[in-house]
Amino acid sequence: MMHDNRIRRFPMLLSALVALALAVLPLPSVLEPLRPDFLVLVVFYWCIESPRAGGLGLAFVSGLALDLVHGVVLGQHALALTLMGAWATHLRLRIRVYSVLSQCLTIFLLLTGYQFVLFWVDGATGNPVTTFSRWLAPFIGALLWPPLVNALSMRGRT
Amino acid sequence: MVAFRNTDTSQRTTGLLLRCVLYSLLALGLIIVDKRYDHLGRIRRFLSVVAYPVQVAVASPFDGWNWFKDSVTTRDALRADKAKLEAELRVAQFRLQRYEALEAETQRLRALRDSTAGVTDRFVIGDVMDVDLDAFRERVLVDKGAGDGVYVGQAVLDSGGVFGQVARVGQLTSEVILVSDPAHAIPVQINRTGLRTIAVGTGDLSRLKLPYLPTSADVTVGDLLVTSGLGGGFPAGYPVGTIAEVKRDPSQSLADVDVRPAAALDRSRELMFVWLKPQAAEVLPQPAAPKPSAPKPPAPKPPAPKQAATNP
Repeated sequence: MMHDNRIRRFPMLLSALVALALAVLPLPSVLEPLRPDFLVLVVFYWCIESPRAGGLGLAFVSGLALDLVHGVVLGQHALALTLMGAWATHLRLRIRVYSVLSQCLTIFLLLTGYQFVLFWVDGATGNPVTTFSRWLAPFIGALLWPPLVNALSMRGRT
Repeated sequence: MVAFRNTDTSQRTTGLLLRCVLYSLLALGLIIVDKRYDHLGRIRRFLSVVAYPVQVAVASPFDGWNWFKDSVTTRDALRADKAKLEAELRVAQFRLQRYEALEAETQRLRALRDSTAGVTDRFVIGDVMDVDLDAFRERVLVDKGAGDGVYVGQAVLDSGGVFGQVARVGQLTSEVILVSDPAHAIPVQINRTGLRTIAVGTGDLSRLKLPYLPTSADVTVGDLLVTSGLGGGFPAGYPVGTIAEVKRDPSQSLADVDVRPAAALDRSRELMFVWLKPQAAEVLPQPAAPKPSAPKPPAPKPPAPKQAATNP
């Protein structure tokens, strides 16, 4: 089991790093509100597939990294990602056997919860972002879920 | 087909709730400490160095592409550029001819009024990094940080006018909040009339607004807005924008005024970080001998009390 966990860490960290890079990749400002939360999706994937290899720890550290690169109050994304990562971990056995549509709906729910925590912390720290466009990212994220799962679970298979 | 590579079928993860609560409390604590106290400033500065490689890695393909584009420009394009730049330089030099005299005159007048607000001292140029920060806030990352002496609240200009101010400083990088950010306000003055007000960002890169002007205020489309230098953050007299639209509703007490920013907020790659002179009076050039009939200008105050204050 110990050996198993160690094998899984490398693709986990690599995918998280790539997702972090995608989170700061410059986009035209029209597309920017539509950018899906890649890192959040990747964290959900690892929470669902192998919760004991990293799970919440990955969620917390990824959240801190997002706080740093986005330049917001430290702990905001970490809190949101921890809560939703824990929820995803809790639901993992069910999500694994869901149909594609149900999976997307669940992920949409989790992403919306994530945005809501961000929204709440924004408001609590005194600089609310009330534009509607921030609620578009969960849609796109949920649409991106099936290809992402396929890509991540294909690793190492020939 | 969505199939997980499912190897971990255990029914329980030990202490999921406990770990979730622990991490959440940690995150909440971070939020409170970061918001309420300043202790995290130093930690943050060095954590930002950790984020730097990711940011550089993301920005480098774009830098590479720009370099490639620069290196393959044709001779004709370069010649056209050169001609254009020479023409611009001629115009700029022509305008500069009176600058020295005007600068000296301004400083004399300021000294008479004991006004020390907003004289620029020196500046450093920084490059905008090709990295997106928060999608819902107007901020950019610039490759100059605390190591270059940049400080929070410092004024940032581009070649057109006021760009924004420094919101957060890392060791190697700093975040600049644009004048168009909804959380940003800048003290301005209408150049034509001297009317002072505050320009607030809207979240739209091409628009600021003046929410505090009465309906009866003397403001017309095309008026130039410059920094007033009040508040001490920005140097005085730099262009902020031009009035784009004035809507006066007689039933309202305040007018609805839109401003087009003077800085190229969406295109500028090079920004100037400006340091203000601490005391304009101290660098006052010796005034020319006054005419006998004119009253003697007040002698500069002896700096004795100040020295006493600085040398305990």
